Amino acid sequence: MTSHAAVLLNIDGLNFYIDDVHILKDISLRANRGEFIGLIGPNGAGKTTLLKCINGINKGTGRIELDGIDIKSMSSRQIAAKAAMLHQDTTVTFPFTVMDIVLAGRYHKLGRFRHEGPEDYAAARRCMEYTDTLKLEKRLINTLSGGERQRVLFAKVLAQETDLILLDEPSSSMDIAYEEQLFKYASELSHEGKTVIAAVHDLKTAARYCSRLVMMKEGRIIADGEPEAVITRDNLRLSYGVEALVYRNRITGLIDFHIAEGNSDRRNVKIHVIGGGGSASGVIRQLFERGYSITAGVFSHGDSDLGCADVFGIKTLACRPFSEIDDDVFRENVDMIKAADMTILCDMPFGRQNLRNLEAAEYASRLVIIEDGDPKDRDFTGGAALDVYYGLREKAVVVESARLHEVLP
Amino acid sequence: MNDYNVYKKMRTVLPLMLLLLLFTIIVAVAVGAVYVPLDRTFRIILDNIGLIDDPALPQEQVSIICRVRLPRVLVSCIAGAALSACGTVMQGLFRNPMADPGILGVSSGAGLGAIIAISLGISARSIYTLPLFAAIGALGTVTLIYMLSLRKGRISPLTLILSGIAVSTFIGAVTQYILIKSNTYEVRNFVFWTMGGLNGMMWEQVRLITLPVLALLAVLMMFSRDLNLLQLGEEEAQSMGLEPSKTRKLLLLITSFITATAISVCGPISFVGLIVPHIMRLIIGPDHRILIPASAIGGAIFLTGCDILGRLPASGEISVGIITSILGAPYFLYLLIRTRRDGEIF
Repeated sequence: MTSHAAVLLNIDGLNFYIDDVHILKDISLRANRGEFIGLIGPNGAGKTTLLKCINGINKGTGRIELDGIDIKSMSSRQIAAKAAMLHQDTTVTFPFTVMDIVLAGRYHKLGRFRHEGPEDYAAARRCMEYTDTLKLEKRLINTLSGGERQRVLFAKVLAQETDLILLDEPSSSMDIAYEEQLFKYASELSHEGKTVIAAVHDLKTAARYCSRLVMMKEGRIIADGEPEAVITRDNLRLSYGVEALVYRNRITGLIDFHIAEGNSDRRNVKIHVIGGGGSASGVIRQLFERGYSITAGVFSHGDSDLGCADVFGIKTLACRPFSEIDDDVFRENVDMIKAADMTILCDMPFGRQNLRNLEAAEYASRLVIIEDGDPKDRDFTGGAALDVYYGLREKAVVVESARLHEVLP
Repeated sequence: MNDYNVYKKMRTVLPLMLLLLLFTIIVAVAVGAVYVPLDRTFRIILDNIGLIDDPALPQEQVSIICRVRLPRVLVSCIAGAALSACGTVMQGLFRNPMADPGILGVSSGAGLGAIIAISLGISARSIYTLPLFAAIGALGTVTLIYMLSLRKGRISPLTLILSGIAVSTFIGAVTQYILIKSNTYEVRNFVFWTMGGLNGMMWEQVRLITLPVLALLAVLMMFSRDLNLLQLGEEEAQSMGLEPSKTRKLLLLITSFITATAISVCGPISFVGLIVPHIMRLIIGPDHRILIPASAIGGAIFLTGCDILGRLPASGEISVGIITSILGAPYFLYLLIRTRRDGEIF
């Protein structure tokens, strides 16, 4: 009898070695019914190894319980009745029909002397219909495309009728449309009460469909929880070693992130950005992608440049809107400029409020001015700003924004 | 609906093959130095198993057929079925179309057992002595190779093949050393055995191999679904509930035992276990539920057919092992060339 305790899988202190190499290190994980867990982490983090341990293929130390029973005391057949696995390598070179392949999922239900009965065929057809492979029923598996083959094998996994479904890198040989489809199936199955654990490459898809993410690095679990709690800038740096910007996409409402082109040499280069009125956003993004240490200011509250700087998590100075920059903020700005290896003055509108930004720029050791059009068109100070601006221009490098990258260190 | 696909196929293909086998048997019994017409051959067989009673049949023909030809043909059927079915299972186990019981050292081990029995001079003492020694040699060698390739309770196919080659070579050398020390008569006896001959088979040999071979073939067929699963890959099979390691050990043991039994009486006949499974796979596909019985029947037809060819030359009989090699080697090369061209073996 299947018990219906909430916890379906309980891993406690799992360690796995291949020869002397410690592959999985002290893994503990509980999975409840109805969860869709995405295992994420870079290649070699141990995702596949963990799935194979749960499936009884890899035998580690520690305890793995399926539905309350230690898998060490279970035969392969008993495990197959509880957990099915879609493997990463899906090449089948032997010309079996699709129906025969899907029926193979029924193996654990059949005795040595029992033929597949009508209920096995019905179950197989149901699973094939679900994965849209029923029309391939009589085709030979070795004549299918990679995506079709994977869906057939997914139907086979479903035909096992298990509470736990393990998917290993399901997107590896799928075409894009079906990759999404597979995640939808998995999500649907989890809503029906099945537990799905998937090793996933694509973090965005994982964040979108999984109810919970488990992040691994070098054989350890380093984060576990809801997607927002796991896909964070710190975690991505820790596991993948990338600088990423994580945000909630305002259009789709989903977690999204942007990975910066990692260049650790540039992390020591400090660049200060002076902007406002939206002029700094593109510059900040470009600098961020190239991996520089960025500071910015002084923006007024409500300025879109300030929002952008927030998203990228950089240190920014701000002042109240429609008022001049006060002495304290001005001094801080000057300190930042002095500390920076380069200061960039964006193609921004000049007003009374931000006049002191131009004054501060005079302290720059290296100044780059971005100028896309005649500065007179964006002067709203009646010439006061332009006097300072032309003074700055004398000792600065002036470029169009499209050519900014040419003057960056 | 098209349910029970493979079983439907079995119900049409297997009876047809059995009919062909029956025909082959009758022809094989009819031809030889004394030709007996086919219809009379059939009547003699029926008379012999008590289905009809015809006292008018010529006694010397009855005697030739029942005492000499029928046991010989039955041994060739059983041995052919054994070698071919075991080849099928081995190829399935290793997912390698080139695998056959020979790689497990069955032939070389049986050879060593045979030469020991011959050189000790005890092979003439009873017709069971040589087969017994050959079987012990075969199983001993298989066990040794098997133990050498065990790693943490698992067999790695590559290690198995490599240790198979090494041990077989070593045992071949020992066999040859004993041969050098043997006299001409013993060498001749041994060479005759290694050529794989069905000459001189009697009802004793039929009795010796029929029961173990047929019983174990039935056991192999019980594992056909497991073999199908293994074709999808070892880990895949385990995910579906198979114990690949256990299954492989058990099936290796059974195939070695069947092969050892067969070649202990008729010598190491090559290529039957390679060609017939290949042809069958091409004709009826990879499903072991039908492939194993079809290969068994096909092997019986093939070996008996080869024996007929070997008995045709008026100048004297050619050992069936020579015929299978003459037919088998070119076919094998053809397969290799075709494989290279098509990029896949099946």
